[in-house]
Amino acid sequence: MSFPVRKSVFVGLAGMSLIGTVAACAPSAQAPAAQSTAASTGSATGSAPMASTGASTAAASGYKDGTYSADGNYVSPNGTETVGVELTLSGGTVSDVNITQHPSNPNTRKFQGEFAGGIKAQIVGKNLDELNVSKVAGSSLTSGGFNEAVQKIKAEAQ
Amino acid sequence: MPQPGWAVFSFEGIGTSWEISTPGPLDTGQRRRLLDVVENYDAAWSRFRTDSLVAQAAREAGRYEMPDGAGELGRLYRSLYRLSAGAMTPLIGGSLEQLGYDADYSLRSRGTPVPAPQWDDVLDWQDSVLTTTAPVVLDVGAAGKGQLADLLAAELRSLGISEHFIDASGDLLNSGPVPVAVGLEHPYDPGRAIGTISLGAGALCASAANRRAWGDGLHHVLDGITGTPVRTVVATWALAANAMTADALATALFFVSGKVLEQDFEFSWLTVFSDGSAAYSAGFEGVLFE
Repeated sequence: MSFPVRKSVFVGLAGMSLIGTVAACAPSAQAPAAQSTAASTGSATGSAPMASTGASTAAASGYKDGTYSADGNYVSPNGTETVGVELTLSGGTVSDVNITQHPSNPNTRKFQGEFAGGIKAQIVGKNLDELNVSKVAGSSLTSGGFNEAVQKIKAEAQ
Repeated sequence: MPQPGWAVFSFEGIGTSWEISTPGPLDTGQRRRLLDVVENYDAAWSRFRTDSLVAQAAREAGRYEMPDGAGELGRLYRSLYRLSAGAMTPLIGGSLEQLGYDADYSLRSRGTPVPAPQWDDVLDWQDSVLTTTAPVVLDVGAAGKGQLADLLAAELRSLGISEHFIDASGDLLNSGPVPVAVGLEHPYDPGRAIGTISLGAGALCASAANRRAWGDGLHHVLDGITGTPVRTVVATWALAANAMTADALATALFFVSGKVLEQDFEFSWLTVFSDGSAAYSAGFEGVLFE
């Protein structure tokens, strides 16, 4: 897949604005960038200058092949975070995009970089009725009293 | 039902639904014994009834003799209080009430969040005896459901029922030896799972911030230092030998990384963050769907 450089930078950073929001792992968020708005998820900015870490041939687009990186900021519930975006250009088009988080907020940093077994960039949901399981570990079943109270408040709010 | 043909005993206890599965049906006397275990626990620890020991402690300072098992509950809470630098505390009840998670389930915030009192300022917890210097609202919700599951398992063993499976609304305790296939509930969709795991003898407990949420940014997992809801982590799972430990660690994962908790506890963990990413220990390797 290849696309114009400018557009890909925009897409990469727009996607970043979702990090730190719940929408990113909602099952319906198959196209998160399309569902996000700057108002609800914080804004992303790509104002940092791009630093070239390698260059070879000049391409028709005017961009040299190589790997470029830039930092962007977004606002998460924890405060302002910084993400790194790394683009690889080949023949004037983007051949690879890598996103790295290097959070400036200590509360976020606490939960990152100390992984024993592994990490997964995005959880994936499957319907329970498609799975061969007899039990579910989770916390959706809450108390009767709690649920009644929530229903009552919803009714009063209507 | 964890095994084909097993019988299920369902009941409500400590504010949640329970399912105990056994190879054969439990008779009336056996059911009564199990329900007594639940009632005794509730009578001591519930902050949702006025006649409990915890409710008394909320009214006046004093010396409270808690039931058996309180010692290990206190030691577990004390370690997690230390590891979380005070964020995870059994003194969180007042902070929960302030945000509306009270005995009347008003679910209406009374004002600005209030931090939990410092443990050593108000509470001395020595084995099963709690001595308080001020009225305190204890809430052992982070480990209580797990401990009750352990107590029910012990009761089943004393009844000669060594094989059993306890489902405390998604917190699971398997006596073994036969493993049970378990789905890990999607944090935002109870109809979906994000992975499956085979649960052998031991406990698998979950905690999620999206459940029991009643307002913008208000949910029931609070930071004892600030009295405000925790952000960033949205769901956790912990696998441990007993349910009390697994239950408490599932909550602790909201405050302390699994890697740090591993230094003090033998357990496996999975943490899902608000950006949809996940981190896990070796015990959850290969569990999440691709």
